[in-house]
Amino acid sequence: MTRVVLVAGAGGVGKTTLSAGIGVCAARAGFRTLVLTVDPARRLATALGLKSLDNVAHPNPELDLLWAAMLDASASWEAIAHRHAPAEVADRLVTNPFFEAVAKRFPAGAAYAAGEEMAEEVEAGHWDLVVVDTPPSSGGIDFLTAPVQMRSFVGGRILRILTGGRIPGRNALFDRAAKPALRLLDTVLGGELLEDIGDFLFDLRHTYEGIARRSQSIAHHLEQAHMVLVTTADPAPLAEAERFVQEAPGNTRVPIVTFNRSLPESWASPTGTVGDPKLAANLERWGAEAAYQRKVRQAWTAAHPGAVVNLAWRASTPNQLPALQALARPVWASLTQDGSFG
Amino acid sequence: MNPPSSTRLVIVTGKGGVGRSAVAAAMAIAAGRQSRQVLAVAMTDPTGLASHFGRATLGYTAVQVAPYVHAMGIDRARALDEYLKLQLGFGARAPLMPVARSLEAMAETVPGIRDVITMGKVLHEVQSKRWDLVVADGPATGQIMSYLRAPNTVAGLIPTGRARRQADEMTATLAGEESVLAMVTLAEELPVTETIESIQELERERPISLAGIWANRLIEPLGVSAAALESVKSVEARNAGLLHRGVYENQRRWRKYLPSHHRLPFLFGIHEPTQVARRLAEEVWS
Repeated sequence: MTRVVLVAGAGGVGKTTLSAGIGVCAARAGFRTLVLTVDPARRLATALGLKSLDNVAHPNPELDLLWAAMLDASASWEAIAHRHAPAEVADRLVTNPFFEAVAKRFPAGAAYAAGEEMAEEVEAGHWDLVVVDTPPSSGGIDFLTAPVQMRSFVGGRILRILTGGRIPGRNALFDRAAKPALRLLDTVLGGELLEDIGDFLFDLRHTYEGIARRSQSIAHHLEQAHMVLVTTADPAPLAEAERFVQEAPGNTRVPIVTFNRSLPESWASPTGTVGDPKLAANLERWGAEAAYQRKVRQAWTAAHPGAVVNLAWRASTPNQLPALQALARPVWASLTQDGSFG
Repeated sequence: MNPPSSTRLVIVTGKGGVGRSAVAAAMAIAAGRQSRQVLAVAMTDPTGLASHFGRATLGYTAVQVAPYVHAMGIDRARALDEYLKLQLGFGARAPLMPVARSLEAMAETVPGIRDVITMGKVLHEVQSKRWDLVVADGPATGQIMSYLRAPNTVAGLIPTGRARRQADEMTATLAGEESVLAMVTLAEELPVTETIESIQELERERPISLAGIWANRLIEPLGVSAAALESVKSVEARNAGLLHRGVYENQRRWRKYLPSHHRLPFLFGIHEPTQVARRLAEEVWS
């Protein structure tokens, strides 16, 4: 059975690095592991053995059992069109002028495409573990809600609104002269645009059944997934972590919350004298930071169930396998603690 | 040094997590301290900008949040309604609701339209004469080009219609000397790389001119010799010193890749958003 670890959190808190680290820990522990990653820094991509920015799995040159692939939203969208629509419709879709704009920028689209890739890999059966680094929009909650959003997107809401309630055939759009709302839209946007959009959405509806079915299996994998929620003590990422906890569907697991860039609590109330005045002043300012972090972590623990893991503040971001493993070790320990990784 | 009085619009962008909203709020507060009438406007989720003014969120009506500073968030449905009425000349006679609803659905579906409506509202405020300066807490670096290109994208897709002429006007305002872009970054690998890539894209397409780069959360050198650091007895003081030196060296390394930039300090122990904005306001234009 393939297990999934989903790594969520706000942008800039170290999600991608931690995902890679969890992958290294898993591979070293003997699991056949795939890391699905989003936008890694160049050095990290190199350490993972990612040679190209496509969504093909690459083996790690240094570590057996560790593989990595990029989540490339636009490539996945083409795959989605071909997977779920008849060939000639799929060809028309991917050449429509709107396809690129929509595929790259519909917010739930990238998250859904990533979900399909995750499901593909989980169902392929050749991994013990798939680590998923979630796309950065809205702290990973998109990833959990995307299956539902995607279903309603291709379900043709816009077509229903444009045509007054029923899902139409292609011709209904060309009857728009009769409808005052659509006559106005013509004036605002120009008629050709409306026809292009209509064609695009009409073709997209061919993908509906496939996507409706697929989104259910994605949702199932997400219910089973182990969650790692990454944050720092800063108010903004903390607010996103809170939002993730509040808005995650009720049947998902309680996440392991990881406070990255943590300072030792002892810095907040050091004992003994320092001597050197500059070092004393330096300890005082870092101590103020440590005191703030302690307050934040205590408030979080008081308000939420589940494990909390602190990762030490590092001077620079780890980008070599041993450093990645060292970074993720406490999270890996927490993940495997209950024996569910057998 | 505030932005020159010819500047009427500053759009602030940066990768997620670098402190974009804090810098936007600080720029607004700093200009307000010079008695300029300022509007701070959130182009995406308004909660970040709102927190720096001590509010939970910001509505579509500008409210005063600091001396000489008003703030608002852009509600796309309202912006669309206004766009139809004011910009495209649909008066009270037009059956606005169905049109607005159709366009709203379309704006969700075709993101170029969403971007142009948001951008349009910002530029509308710039032209309104109510403000000396508009500071926009903009989209993340990853989306900024799509917003800046939005008027052009729409112009390319729409061969005719009033929206086309409107889009052409927006393109001209953004490219004019009254509009500038401010990029916020951290001195770390990913934000620096993204900043450099964005600058290259800006230089190729020139949709707007660059006001500058703001490197945020910088620390000062420790100023203690390695020998003194090794010989200090307190373990905490030594480790804090080592971390400080390591972070400083790493920041210095990544700053070298940046073109000339403004420097904003890391505020040890200060994270309360209104305090952060007020402190950064002292430094943001210096």
